[in-house]
Amino acid sequence: MSNQIKFSGVKKVFGRGPDAVHAFGPVDMVVEDGEFVSLLGPSGCGKSTLMLMTAGLLDVTEGTVQIGDRTVNGPQTDIGIMFQDNTLVPWRTVRGNIELQLEMRGISVASKRAEIDAILASVHLEDFADRHPYELSGGMQQRAAFCQAMIHAPNTMLLDEPLGKLDAMTRERIRSDLQSLWMEQRPTVLFVTHSIEEAIQLSSKVAVITPRPGRIERVIDIDLPYPRDYEVKRSPEFSAYVHETQEIFRGYGVI
Amino acid sequence: MASFDKKPTFAGLKLRLMNSWMFVAFFIGFFLFWEYSVLWFDIPLYILTPPSLIIENGAADLPRLLDYTLVTGTEVIIGYVLAVVLALPLGLAIAFSTILKRTIYPFIVCIEMVPKIAFAPLFISWLGFGLLPKVIIVFLVCFFPIVLNAILAFNSLSEELTLFSRSTGAGIWRTFFKVRLPAALPQCFVGFKYAAINATVGAAIAEFIGSDEGLGFYIQIVTGNMRPDLAFAGIFFLTLLGLCLFGLVTLAERLLIPWHISVRRN
Repeated sequence: MSNQIKFSGVKKVFGRGPDAVHAFGPVDMVVEDGEFVSLLGPSGCGKSTLMLMTAGLLDVTEGTVQIGDRTVNGPQTDIGIMFQDNTLVPWRTVRGNIELQLEMRGISVASKRAEIDAILASVHLEDFADRHPYELSGGMQQRAAFCQAMIHAPNTMLLDEPLGKLDAMTRERIRSDLQSLWMEQRPTVLFVTHSIEEAIQLSSKVAVITPRPGRIERVIDIDLPYPRDYEVKRSPEFSAYVHETQEIFRGYGVI
Repeated sequence: MASFDKKPTFAGLKLRLMNSWMFVAFFIGFFLFWEYSVLWFDIPLYILTPPSLIIENGAADLPRLLDYTLVTGTEVIIGYVLAVVLALPLGLAIAFSTILKRTIYPFIVCIEMVPKIAFAPLFISWLGFGLLPKVIIVFLVCFFPIVLNAILAFNSLSEELTLFSRSTGAGIWRTFFKVRLPAALPQCFVGFKYAAINATVGAAIAEFIGSDEGLGFYIQIVTGNMRPDLAFAGIFFLTLLGLCLFGLVTLAERLLIPWHISVRRN
Protein backbone atom coordinates (compact mmCIF):
# COMPACT_ATOMS: atom_id res chain seq x y z
CA MET A 1 0.00 0.00 0.00
CA SER A 2 1.27 3.42 -0.86
CA ASN A 3 1.99 5.92 1.89
CA GLN A 4 2.40 8.89 -0.37
CA ILE A 5 1.18 12.10 1.28
CA LYS A 6 -0.45 14.57 -1.08
CA PHE A 7 -1.38 18.13 -0.12
CA SER A 8 -3.74 19.89 -2.55
CA GLY A 9 -4.49 23.55 -1.91
CA VAL A 10 -4.30 22.99 1.86
CA LYS A 11 -5.13 26.13 3.79
CA LYS A 12 -5.81 26.84 7.45
CA VAL A 13 -7.61 29.87 8.87
CA PHE A 14 -8.23 30.08 12.61
CA GLY A 15 -11.40 31.87 13.68
CA ARG A 16 -13.96 33.68 11.54
CA GLY A 17 -14.81 37.18 10.42
CA PRO A 18 -12.52 40.15 11.04
CA ASP A 19 -10.58 38.33 13.81
CA ALA A 20 -9.72 35.38 11.59
CA VAL A 21 -6.02 34.53 11.41
CA HIS A 22 -4.73 33.12 8.17
CA ALA A 23 -2.21 30.65 9.59
CA PHE A 24 -1.16 28.53 6.67
CA GLY A 25 -1.29 27.88 2.98
CA PRO A 26 -2.52 27.38 0.41
CA VAL A 27 0.04 24.66 -0.09
CA ASP A 28 0.54 21.95 -2.73
CA MET A 29 3.14 19.26 -2.18
CA VAL A 30 3.66 15.55 -2.64
CA VAL A 31 5.71 13.49 -0.22
CA GLU A 32 6.56 10.24 -1.99
CA ASP A 33 6.41 6.85 -0.34
CA GLY A 34 9.51 6.29 1.81
CA GLU A 35 10.75 9.87 1.58
CA PHE A 36 12.09 11.88 4.50
CA VAL A 37 10.76 15.41 4.11
CA SER A 38 11.54 18.24 6.52
CA LEU A 39 9.24 21.19 7.00
CA LEU A 40 11.74 23.94 7.73
CA GLY A 41 10.68 27.40 8.81
CA PRO A 42 10.72 30.04 11.55
CA SER A 43 8.52 29.73 14.65
CA GLY A 44 4.88 30.48 14.08
CA CYS A 45 4.96 29.74 10.36
CA GLY A 46 2.41 26.96 10.65
CA LYS A 47 4.67 23.90 10.31
CA SER A 48 2.97 22.19 13.24
CA THR A 49 -0.42 23.18 11.86
CA LEU A 50 0.33 21.36 8.63
CA MET A 51 1.48 18.33 10.58
CA LEU A 52 -1.66 18.21 12.70
CA MET A 53 -3.78 18.53 9.56
CA THR A 54 -1.87 15.59 8.05
CA ALA A 55 -2.60 13.53 11.16
CA GLY A 56 -6.27 14.45 10.91
CA LEU A 57 -6.10 16.06 14.34
CA LEU A 58 -6.95 19.49 12.93
CA ASP A 59 -9.47 20.25 10.18
CA VAL A 60 -8.29 21.86 6.96
CA THR A 61 -10.11 25.07 6.07
CA GLU A 62 -9.65 24.53 2.34
CA GLY A 63 -8.12 21.83 0.17
CA THR A 64 -7.39 18.17 0.89
CA VAL A 65 -4.72 15.99 2.43
CA GLN A 66 -4.44 12.46 1.08
CA ILE A 67 -2.40 9.58 2.48
CA GLY A 68 -2.16 6.82 -0.10
CA ASP A 69 -5.59 6.74 -1.69
CA ARG A 70 -7.47 7.91 1.42
CA THR A 71 -8.55 11.49 2.04
CA VAL A 72 -7.79 12.60 5.59
CA ASN A 73 -11.00 13.67 7.33
CA GLY A 74 -10.48 12.51 10.91
CA PRO A 75 -7.71 11.23 13.18
CA GLN A 76 -5.40 8.87 11.29
CA THR A 77 -4.66 5.83 13.42
CA ASP A 78 -2.03 4.17 11.26
CA ILE A 79 0.62 6.85 11.66
CA GLY A 80 3.25 7.41 14.33
CA ILE A 81 3.28 10.86 15.83
CA MET A 82 5.77 12.63 18.11
CA PHE A 83 5.71 16.10 19.65
CA GLN A 84 8.32 18.41 21.14
CA ASP A 85 6.79 17.72 24.57
CA ASN A 86 6.60 13.97 24.78
CA THR A 87 3.45 12.01 25.50
CA LEU A 88 4.94 9.77 28.18
CA VAL A 89 2.63 9.55 31.19
CA PRO A 90 4.32 9.75 34.61
CA TRP A 91 2.25 6.97 36.20
CA ARG A 92 3.63 4.30 33.89
CA THR A 93 7.13 2.93 33.35
CA VAL A 94 8.87 3.17 29.98
CA ARG A 95 7.49 -0.27 29.08
CA GLY A 96 4.07 0.70 30.44
CA ASN A 97 4.09 3.80 28.26
CA ILE A 98 4.84 1.76 25.16
CA GLU A 99 2.06 -0.62 26.16
CA LEU A 100 -0.27 2.35 26.56
CA GLN A 101 -0.10 2.94 22.80
CA LEU A 102 -1.15 -0.69 22.22
CA GLU A 103 -3.84 -0.69 24.92
CA MET A 104 -5.39 2.50 23.57
CA ARG A 105 -5.67 0.79 20.20
CA GLY A 106 -7.05 -2.42 21.65
CA ILE A 107 -3.98 -4.40 20.56
CA SER A 108 -3.01 -7.31 22.83
CA VAL A 109 0.10 -6.39 24.80
CA ALA A 110 1.08 -10.01 25.32
CA SER A 111 1.35 -10.54 21.56
CA LYS A 112 3.83 -7.66 21.25
CA ARG A 113 6.33 -8.47 24.03
CA ALA A 114 9.09 -9.31 21.58
CA GLU A 115 8.47 -6.16 19.53
CA ILE A 116 8.62 -3.99 22.66
CA ASP A 117 11.93 -5.54 23.71
CA ALA A 118 13.30 -5.11 20.21
CA ILE A 119 12.34 -1.47 19.83
CA LEU A 120 13.73 -0.66 23.32
CA ALA A 121 17.01 -2.32 22.35
CA SER A 122 17.14 -0.39 19.08
CA VAL A 123 17.28 2.88 21.04
CA HIS A 124 19.53 1.46 23.80
CA LEU A 125 16.85 1.64 26.50
CA GLU A 126 16.60 -2.08 27.31
CA ASP A 127 17.98 -1.50 30.83
CA PHE A 128 15.51 1.27 31.54
CA ALA A 129 12.26 -0.48 30.61
CA ASP A 130 11.05 -0.55 34.20
CA ARG A 131 12.01 3.02 35.04
CA HIS A 132 9.54 5.86 35.14
CA PRO A 133 9.95 8.78 32.72
CA TYR A 134 10.93 11.16 35.52
CA GLU A 135 13.92 8.92 36.27
CA LEU A 136 15.33 9.44 32.78
CA SER A 137 17.28 12.26 31.15
CA GLY A 138 15.59 14.40 28.48
CA GLY A 139 17.29 12.47 25.68
CA MET A 140 16.29 9.10 27.10
CA GLN A 141 12.73 10.34 27.51
CA GLN A 142 12.58 11.26 23.82
CA ARG A 143 13.96 7.82 22.90
CA ALA A 144 11.25 6.24 25.03
CA ALA A 145 8.66 8.51 23.41
CA PHE A 146 9.95 7.35 20.04
CA CYS A 147 9.33 3.72 21.02
CA GLN A 148 5.85 4.67 22.20
CA ALA A 149 5.09 6.42 18.91
CA MET A 150 6.35 3.55 16.73
CA ILE A 151 5.35 0.31 18.52
CA HIS A 152 2.29 -0.15 16.34
CA ALA A 153 4.61 -0.21 13.29
CA PRO A 154 3.19 2.74 11.34
CA ASN A 155 4.46 3.29 7.80
CA THR A 156 4.08 7.05 8.14
CA MET A 157 5.86 9.10 10.81
CA LEU A 158 4.94 12.67 11.74
CA LEU A 159 7.64 14.19 13.93
CA ASP A 160 6.97 17.66 15.31
CA GLU A 161 10.32 18.97 16.56
CA PRO A 162 10.92 15.83 18.61
CA LEU A 163 14.50 16.94 19.33
CA GLY A 164 13.60 20.57 20.01
CA LYS A 165 14.23 20.57 23.74
CA LEU A 166 17.38 18.48 23.78
CA ASP A 167 20.93 19.69 24.29
CA ALA A 168 23.15 19.88 21.20
CA MET A 169 25.13 16.69 21.88
CA THR A 170 22.14 14.50 22.66
CA ARG A 171 20.45 15.94 19.63
CA GLU A 172 23.32 14.90 17.32
CA ARG A 173 23.23 11.40 18.72
CA ILE A 174 19.49 10.88 18.36
CA ARG A 175 19.55 12.42 14.90
CA SER A 176 21.95 9.77 13.68
CA ASP A 177 19.88 7.03 15.36
CA LEU A 178 16.80 8.36 13.62
CA GLN A 179 18.64 8.33 10.33
CA SER A 180 19.75 4.70 10.74
CA LEU A 181 16.22 3.71 11.58
CA TRP A 182 14.79 5.46 8.57
CA MET A 183 17.43 3.88 6.30
CA GLU A 184 16.52 0.42 7.60
CA GLN A 185 12.73 0.64 7.50
CA ARG A 186 12.11 3.45 5.01
CA PRO A 187 8.84 4.82 6.42
CA THR A 188 7.45 8.04 4.96
CA VAL A 189 8.57 10.80 7.33
CA LEU A 190 7.33 14.34 7.75
CA PHE A 191 9.75 16.08 10.09
CA VAL A 192 9.14 19.55 11.51
CA THR A 193 12.22 21.53 12.51
CA HIS A 194 13.66 25.03 12.58
CA SER A 195 17.24 23.84 12.40
CA ILE A 196 18.64 24.22 8.89
CA GLU A 197 21.48 21.76 9.49
CA GLU A 198 19.17 19.17 10.98
CA ALA A 199 16.81 19.39 8.02
CA ILE A 200 19.61 19.02 5.47
CA GLN A 201 21.36 16.21 7.32
CA LEU A 202 18.24 14.05 7.64
CA SER A 203 16.03 14.78 4.68
CA SER A 204 15.72 13.65 1.13
CA LYS A 205 13.74 16.86 0.55
CA VAL A 206 13.52 20.09 2.52
CA ALA A 207 10.34 22.14 2.20
CA VAL A 208 11.22 25.73 3.07
CA ILE A 209 8.25 27.49 4.66
CA THR A 210 7.75 31.27 4.70
CA PRO A 211 6.81 33.27 7.80
CA ARG A 212 3.08 33.53 8.59
CA PRO A 213 0.96 32.84 6.72
CA GLY A 214 3.17 29.84 5.98
CA ARG A 215 3.59 28.82 2.35
CA ILE A 216 6.00 26.37 0.85
CA GLU A 217 8.54 28.69 -0.76
CA ARG A 218 10.68 25.99 -2.28
CA VAL A 219 11.26 22.28 -2.07
CA ILE A 220 14.99 21.57 -2.15
CA ASP A 221 16.13 18.07 -3.15
CA ILE A 222 19.05 17.15 -0.95
CA ASP A 223 21.26 15.07 -3.20
CA LEU A 224 23.81 13.78 -0.70
CA PRO A 225 24.74 10.16 0.05
CA TYR A 226 23.38 8.40 3.16
CA PRO A 227 24.41 7.85 5.89
CA ARG A 228 25.11 11.52 6.34
CA ASP A 229 27.83 11.34 8.95
CA TYR A 230 30.47 13.91 9.88
CA GLU A 231 32.32 13.42 6.60
CA VAL A 232 29.25 14.40 4.63
CA LYS A 233 28.49 17.30 6.94
CA ARG A 234 32.00 18.67 6.40
CA SER A 235 31.71 18.46 2.62
CA PRO A 236 31.41 21.60 0.48
CA GLU A 237 28.15 20.21 -1.00
CA PHE A 238 26.56 20.13 2.47
CA SER A 239 27.72 23.68 3.14
CA ALA A 240 26.31 24.78 -0.18
CA TYR A 241 22.86 23.46 0.77
CA VAL A 242 23.07 25.19 4.16
CA HIS A 243 24.12 28.41 2.47
CA GLU A 244 21.36 28.21 -0.12
CA THR A 245 18.73 27.71 2.59
CA GLN A 246 20.12 30.48 4.77
CA GLU A 247 19.91 32.86 1.82
CA ILE A 248 16.19 32.15 1.48
CA PHE A 249 15.55 33.00 5.13
CA ARG A 250 17.79 36.06 4.94
CA GLY A 251 15.62 37.21 2.07
CA TYR A 252 12.67 37.15 4.47
CA GLY A 253 14.58 38.99 7.17
CA VAL A 254 14.13 35.99 9.48
CA ILE A 255 17.87 35.61 10.06
CA MET B 1 19.72 11.68 35.55
CA ALA B 2 17.34 12.31 38.38
CA SER B 3 17.78 10.37 41.59
CA PHE B 4 15.26 7.67 42.36
CA ASP B 5 14.45 4.74 44.63
CA LYS B 6 13.72 6.95 47.60
CA LYS B 7 12.36 4.30 49.90
CA PRO B 8 12.19 5.15 53.61
CA THR B 9 15.24 3.66 55.32
CA PHE B 10 16.32 3.60 58.94
CA ALA B 11 19.28 5.86 58.19
CA GLY B 12 16.94 8.24 56.41
CA LEU B 13 14.60 8.31 59.38
CA LYS B 14 17.51 9.00 61.74
CA LEU B 15 18.62 11.87 59.54
CA ARG B 16 15.14 13.32 59.50
CA LEU B 17 14.88 13.06 63.27
CA MET B 18 18.27 14.75 63.68
CA ASN B 19 17.18 17.50 61.34
CA SER B 20 14.02 17.99 63.29
CA TRP B 21 15.65 18.22 66.74
CA MET B 22 15.29 22.00 66.72
CA PHE B 23 11.60 21.65 66.12
CA VAL B 24 11.28 19.06 68.88
CA ALA B 25 13.23 21.30 71.26
CA PHE B 26 10.99 24.24 70.40
CA PHE B 27 7.90 22.10 70.87
CA ILE B 28 9.00 20.94 74.32
CA GLY B 29 10.08 24.49 75.20
CA PHE B 30 6.65 25.81 74.26
CA PHE B 31 4.84 23.41 76.55
CA LEU B 32 7.32 24.00 79.41
CA PHE B 33 6.77 27.74 79.03
CA TRP B 34 3.02 27.18 79.12
CA GLU B 35 3.25 24.88 82.14
CA TYR B 36 5.36 27.21 84.23
CA SER B 37 4.00 30.56 83.10
CA VAL B 38 0.61 29.60 84.54
CA LEU B 39 2.37 29.27 87.91
CA TRP B 40 4.77 32.21 87.57
CA PHE B 41 2.18 34.70 86.37
CA ASP B 42 -0.36 33.32 88.81
CA ILE B 43 -3.05 32.81 86.13
CA PRO B 44 -6.30 31.53 87.65
CA LEU B 45 -7.07 27.93 86.64
CA TYR B 46 -10.48 28.89 85.23
CA ILE B 47 -8.71 31.08 82.66
CA LEU B 48 -5.84 28.81 81.62
CA THR B 49 -4.65 25.46 82.92
CA PRO B 50 -1.15 24.02 82.58
CA PRO B 51 -0.75 21.11 80.10
CA SER B 52 -0.10 18.63 82.91
CA LEU B 53 -3.52 19.32 84.38
CA ILE B 54 -5.14 19.07 80.92
CA ILE B 55 -3.69 15.59 80.53
CA GLU B 56 -4.66 14.55 84.05
CA ASN B 57 -8.26 15.82 83.95
CA GLY B 58 -8.71 14.85 80.32
CA ALA B 59 -7.69 11.28 81.18
CA ALA B 60 -10.22 11.26 84.01
CA ASP B 61 -12.95 12.26 81.57
CA LEU B 62 -11.70 9.94 78.82
CA PRO B 63 -14.85 7.79 78.40
CA ARG B 64 -16.96 10.85 77.62
CA LEU B 65 -14.30 12.32 75.33
CA LEU B 66 -14.06 9.06 73.39
CA ASP B 67 -17.83 8.81 73.07
CA TYR B 68 -18.02 12.33 71.71
CA THR B 69 -15.06 11.77 69.37
CA LEU B 70 -17.06 8.91 67.90
CA VAL B 71 -20.12 11.16 67.50
CA THR B 72 -18.21 13.98 65.81
CA GLY B 73 -16.16 11.46 63.84
CA THR B 74 -19.34 9.94 62.42
CA GLU B 75 -20.58 13.37 61.30
CA VAL B 76 -17.22 14.16 59.71
CA ILE B 77 -16.82 10.84 57.89
CA ILE B 78 -20.38 10.70 56.52
CA GLY B 79 -20.30 14.35 55.42
CA TYR B 80 -16.86 13.99 53.84
CA VAL B 81 -17.57 10.75 52.00
CA LEU B 82 -20.86 12.16 50.70
CA ALA B 83 -19.03 15.25 49.48
CA VAL B 84 -16.43 13.15 47.62
CA VAL B 85 -19.02 10.82 46.13
CA LEU B 86 -21.22 13.65 44.84
CA ALA B 87 -18.65 16.35 44.05
CA LEU B 88 -16.29 14.23 41.96
CA PRO B 89 -18.86 13.09 39.36
CA LEU B 90 -20.37 16.59 39.27
CA GLY B 91 -16.94 18.14 38.70
CA LEU B 92 -16.34 15.61 35.93
CA ALA B 93 -19.71 16.37 34.33
CA ILE B 94 -19.12 20.13 34.46
CA ALA B 95 -15.64 19.72 33.00
CA PHE B 96 -17.01 17.95 29.93
CA SER B 97 -20.36 19.65 29.42
CA THR B 98 -20.62 23.12 27.91
CA ILE B 99 -24.20 23.45 29.13
CA LEU B 100 -23.33 22.59 32.73
CA LYS B 101 -20.30 24.87 32.53
CA ARG B 102 -22.56 27.77 31.62
CA THR B 103 -25.28 27.01 34.16
CA ILE B 104 -24.21 25.08 37.25
CA TYR B 105 -20.56 26.16 37.27
CA PRO B 106 -21.17 29.93 37.75
CA PHE B 107 -23.80 29.03 40.34
CA ILE B 108 -21.26 26.95 42.27
CA VAL B 109 -18.67 29.71 42.06
CA CYS B 110 -21.25 32.16 43.51
CA ILE B 111 -22.15 29.83 46.36
CA GLU B 112 -18.45 29.25 47.03
CA MET B 113 -18.29 32.96 47.97
CA VAL B 114 -20.88 32.42 50.73
CA PRO B 115 -19.41 31.24 54.04
CA LYS B 116 -21.10 27.84 54.34
CA ILE B 117 -20.86 27.93 58.13
CA ALA B 118 -23.39 30.80 58.09
CA PHE B 119 -26.05 28.28 57.02
CA ALA B 120 -25.53 26.20 60.16
CA PRO B 121 -28.22 27.88 62.35
CA LEU B 122 -30.72 27.54 59.50
CA PHE B 123 -30.11 23.85 59.03
CA ILE B 124 -30.34 23.26 62.77
CA SER B 125 -33.68 25.11 62.91
CA TRP B 126 -34.97 23.15 59.92
CA LEU B 127 -33.69 19.71 60.85
CA GLY B 128 -33.26 19.70 64.62
CA PHE B 129 -30.39 18.75 66.92
CA GLY B 130 -29.56 15.36 65.42
CA LEU B 131 -26.90 13.96 63.12
CA LEU B 132 -28.37 15.16 59.82
CA PRO B 133 -27.80 18.95 60.05
CA LYS B 134 -24.16 18.38 61.11
CA VAL B 135 -23.59 15.99 58.23
CA ILE B 136 -25.04 18.60 55.87
CA ILE B 137 -22.75 21.34 57.21
CA VAL B 138 -19.67 19.10 56.90
CA PHE B 139 -20.84 18.14 53.42
CA LEU B 140 -21.24 21.79 52.38
CA VAL B 141 -17.82 22.75 53.72
CA CYS B 142 -16.16 19.84 51.86
CA PHE B 143 -18.19 19.81 48.65
CA PHE B 144 -17.01 23.03 47.03
CA PRO B 145 -13.24 22.64 47.19
CA ILE B 146 -13.62 19.11 45.80
CA VAL B 147 -15.91 20.12 42.95
CA LEU B 148 -13.81 23.15 41.93
CA ASN B 149 -10.56 21.20 41.97
CA ALA B 150 -12.17 18.33 40.06
CA ILE B 151 -13.30 20.71 37.30
CA LEU B 152 -9.79 22.14 37.11
CA ALA B 153 -8.31 18.63 37.16
CA PHE B 154 -10.39 17.21 34.33
CA ASN B 155 -9.90 20.32 32.21
CA SER B 156 -6.11 20.41 32.40
CA LEU B 157 -5.03 17.46 30.29
CA SER B 158 -2.01 18.58 28.26
CA GLU B 159 -2.48 19.38 24.57
CA GLU B 160 -0.02 16.63 23.63
CA LEU B 161 -1.82 13.92 25.61
CA THR B 162 -5.15 15.03 24.15
CA LEU B 163 -3.74 14.75 20.61
CA PHE B 164 -2.03 11.45 21.46
CA SER B 165 -5.30 9.97 22.73
CA ARG B 166 -7.17 11.07 19.62
CA SER B 167 -4.44 9.75 17.33
CA THR B 168 -4.87 6.24 18.77
CA GLY B 169 -8.54 6.19 17.84
CA ALA B 170 -9.44 5.11 21.39
CA GLY B 171 -13.02 5.68 22.54
CA ILE B 172 -13.98 8.12 25.27
CA TRP B 173 -14.14 5.49 28.05
CA ARG B 174 -10.79 3.96 27.27
CA THR B 175 -9.26 7.43 27.00
CA PHE B 176 -10.90 8.36 30.30
CA PHE B 177 -9.64 5.41 32.32
CA LYS B 178 -6.20 5.14 30.77
CA VAL B 179 -5.27 8.81 30.38
CA ARG B 180 -7.70 11.42 31.69
CA LEU B 181 -8.49 9.97 35.10
CA PRO B 182 -4.93 9.19 36.23
CA ALA B 183 -3.76 12.56 34.87
CA ALA B 184 -6.48 14.35 36.88
CA LEU B 185 -5.89 12.60 40.21
CA PRO B 186 -3.15 14.90 41.60
CA GLN B 187 -5.33 18.00 41.26
CA CYS B 188 -8.33 16.10 42.67
CA PHE B 189 -6.28 15.32 45.76
CA VAL B 190 -5.63 19.03 46.28
CA GLY B 191 -9.41 19.34 46.78
CA PHE B 192 -9.66 16.18 48.92
CA LYS B 193 -6.95 17.43 51.27
CA TYR B 194 -8.34 20.94 51.57
CA ALA B 195 -11.76 19.47 52.34
CA ALA B 196 -10.28 17.10 54.93
CA ILE B 197 -8.72 20.01 56.79
CA ASN B 198 -12.02 21.89 56.90
CA ALA B 199 -14.33 18.98 57.70
CA THR B 200 -13.77 19.08 61.49
CA VAL B 201 -14.20 22.86 61.51
CA GLY B 202 -17.67 22.43 59.99
CA ALA B 203 -18.64 19.69 62.46
CA ALA B 204 -17.44 21.63 65.52
CA ILE B 205 -19.23 24.84 64.59
CA ALA B 206 -22.45 22.98 63.74
CA GLU B 207 -22.28 21.41 67.18
CA PHE B 208 -21.64 24.77 68.87
CA ILE B 209 -24.87 26.05 67.41
CA GLY B 210 -27.16 23.26 68.45
CA SER B 211 -26.50 19.75 69.72
CA ASP B 212 -26.54 17.60 72.79
CA GLU B 213 -23.47 15.49 72.06
CA GLY B 214 -20.15 15.62 70.21
CA LEU B 215 -16.80 17.34 70.78
CA GLY B 216 -18.10 20.79 69.77
CA PHE B 217 -20.92 20.42 72.26
CA TYR B 218 -18.41 19.25 74.91
CA ILE B 219 -16.04 22.18 74.35
CA GLN B 220 -18.90 24.64 74.64
CA ILE B 221 -20.35 23.12 77.81
CA VAL B 222 -17.05 22.76 79.71
CA THR B 223 -16.00 26.28 78.74
CA GLY B 224 -19.31 27.50 80.20
CA ASN B 225 -18.44 25.59 83.36
CA MET B 226 -15.08 27.40 83.52
CA ARG B 227 -13.11 24.25 82.80
CA PRO B 228 -10.53 25.31 80.18
CA ASP B 229 -8.57 22.14 80.99
CA LEU B 230 -11.39 19.99 79.61
CA ALA B 231 -11.93 22.41 76.70
CA PHE B 232 -8.29 21.86 75.71
CA ALA B 233 -8.77 18.10 76.03
CA GLY B 234 -11.76 18.39 73.68
CA ILE B 235 -9.73 20.51 71.26
CA PHE B 236 -6.99 17.88 71.38
CA PHE B 237 -9.39 15.12 70.35
CA LEU B 238 -10.92 17.31 67.63
CA THR B 239 -7.43 17.94 66.28
CA LEU B 240 -6.68 14.23 66.44
CA LEU B 241 -9.84 13.54 64.46
CA GLY B 242 -8.82 16.05 61.77
CA LEU B 243 -5.32 14.60 61.62
CA CYS B 244 -6.70 11.07 61.21
CA LEU B 245 -8.87 12.12 58.27
CA PHE B 246 -6.03 14.07 56.68
CA GLY B 247 -3.72 11.09 57.28
CA LEU B 248 -6.14 8.72 55.56
CA VAL B 249 -6.43 11.03 52.54
CA THR B 250 -2.64 11.39 52.37
CA LEU B 251 -2.28 7.60 52.57
CA ALA B 252 -4.76 7.21 49.71
CA GLU B 253 -2.76 9.77 47.75
CA ARG B 254 0.46 7.83 48.29
CA LEU B 255 -1.17 4.62 47.18
CA LEU B 256 -2.96 6.06 44.14
CA ILE B 257 -0.40 8.53 42.76
CA PRO B 258 3.03 7.43 44.04
CA TRP B 259 4.44 8.77 40.76
CA HIS B 260 3.39 12.36 41.37
CA ILE B 261 6.04 14.96 42.16
CA SER B 262 4.33 16.09 45.38
CA VAL B 263 4.43 12.52 46.71
CA ARG B 264 7.95 11.75 45.45
CA ARG B 265 9.40 14.85 47.12
CA ASN B 266 8.39 13.62 50.55
